Amino acid sequence: MTLWYDVARVAIAVNLLLLLGLGYVWAGNYRRFRSKHALGLLLFAVMLFLENAVALYLYMLDPVMSAWMADVPVAPQRLLTLLRVFEAVALAFIAWVTWD
Amino acid sequence: MEAVLWYVFTGTRGGENRARILRALDERPRNANQLADDLDLDYKTVRHHLEVLGDNGIVENSGDDYGAVYFPTDRVRDHWDAVEEIVEHVE
Repeated sequence: MTLWYDVARVAIAVNLLLLLGLGYVWAGNYRRFRSKHALGLLLFAVMLFLENAVALYLYMLDPVMSAWMADVPVAPQRLLTLLRVFEAVALAFIAWVTWD
Repeated sequence: MEAVLWYVFTGTRGGENRARILRALDERPRNANQLADDLDLDYKTVRHHLEVLGDNGIVENSGDDYGAVYFPTDRVRDHWDAVEEIVEHVE
């Protein structure tokens, strides 16, 4: 069953794109405001970006580990995917609010 | 209130212009047209920012439809130290 594995990979890509957009806005705001609040948001985006970059490596870039990930049984695979999907929903919402 | 303030200004794409608008309204109340002229912003952009600031209880208006004049709310005045800290580096 590779559907969950595919959904996870799509969600990782979506997360990375959303975080690039958020990082762009928050980095610009940090340059203008120079406040700890703007810096906090920027660091938040950077850390979540790194988290998803690691996931990208695990799921897609490393040939050995990505094969393991594709072979994870469906029950844990589904939960692993849900972690990615919940994060994507959260980031999509914050991106919508932030783009305002 | 302070969390709202810092998110509305530093968390969003339009934060910088909203900060400039609030500062202008603190100097003296103005309507949307005057803000657009004084800050060299698009009228529709100003209206949008005023709506966001209003929704968050940061500014209020005099109620007259077209020439409505906007000014900072009492609530934001109570937190003016925080506002200054947030916007102190905005030109």
